[in-house]
Amino acid sequence: MFARNKEEKGILIIGGFNKAKSLSSSLIKKGYRVTIVNKNYDHCEKLAEIDKLRVIYGDGSKKFILEEAKAGDHQIAIALTPSDETNLVICEMCKKYFDVKKTVCLLNDPSKTDFYYKMGIDRVVCALNMITNIMEEQALMDEMTRRIPVDEGRIHVLEIPVPKDSEIAGRKLWELNLPKEVIIGCILRNDQSLIPRGDSRINEGDVLLIITSDENKLREIKEFGDYAITK
Amino acid sequence: MKKDKGCTVIAGCGRLGASIAGKLSEERKDVVILDNDKCSFRKLPFSYGGLSIVGNATDMEKLNAALIDAKAFIAVTDLDCVNICAAQIAKSVFNIPKVVARIYDEDKLQLVKDMGIDAICPSELSEKELANYIEIEGD
Repeated sequence: MFARNKEEKGILIIGGFNKAKSLSSSLIKKGYRVTIVNKNYDHCEKLAEIDKLRVIYGDGSKKFILEEAKAGDHQIAIALTPSDETNLVICEMCKKYFDVKKTVCLLNDPSKTDFYYKMGIDRVVCALNMITNIMEEQALMDEMTRRIPVDEGRIHVLEIPVPKDSEIAGRKLWELNLPKEVIIGCILRNDQSLIPRGDSRINEGDVLLIITSDENKLREIKEFGDYAITK
Repeated sequence: MKKDKGCTVIAGCGRLGASIAGKLSEERKDVVILDNDKCSFRKLPFSYGGLSIVGNATDMEKLNAALIDAKAFIAVTDLDCVNICAAQIAKSVFNIPKVVARIYDEDKLQLVKDMGIDAICPSELSEKELANYIEIEGD
């Protein structure tokens, strides 16, 4: 049942060569029906070597090309051209003329993210933002924590190890006075993972899996980790 | 000297952009023109007395500086998508009352018209003119 649903789900990818290539192979492997529109003929020929992939040669920012690609039969449209403005227009056209349910747009300039959402794009992927986030994470939070942004970075999942002689070791969760935007979702102890309750006790050597909805609290939590180390 | 407040911002200093900028400047109106190539400003007439900014037409920072007290925005770069995007930014982010975009592709007109952005489509205009011309000839 689930597999059949997936087969019915069509994904339209417009522009991009390397990105489109790896994305489409991965999506086809997962059982989706994928169409690619590309305006470079050589690229189209290379893309056509991928099994089960439908390739349309043409400029994806033109309405009649989208018509030819049967954009209306797809549930998701992904715009990967190198031009921010073209991606916006493609997504707007898919939404407006072809009723594509979900549009995903690649964006280079992070300052336009809010504007793109305002224009009705469902997901804006800003590569620059993502790379800087990862770099920042790697540079600043390296030894202490591993940080995973979820839902465009609105929610963060962190791993914080509890070091030896930490002040929080031996304490119960309710004694920690965590801010209300922060919860400890899981305690990783040896090979076990425990879903904690208020009266769960934290031991030395535990790894706390922390979920927070407020990025500003990240620093606080990090300090809390630092604090735990110095004590 | 100036009757109305607020300047006119023109994105794209091509033949059309430069000539509109020149005309407005001649009428002693405040004009700001934006282009990503410094060399395009050479198309402006010598008498041009407005501002010229080098920058992308969809660059938020540049638009913010240019549109701060604008009353009208004209997007006439050579790319449809850039014009559409710039016009939509001017309308929805900066709330400029009068926004015009030149759009070559008739299929894209509907994208901006619903937002209250005026669109000028050269092919549509020439079509009308030609139809007029043929009608007159036929008489």
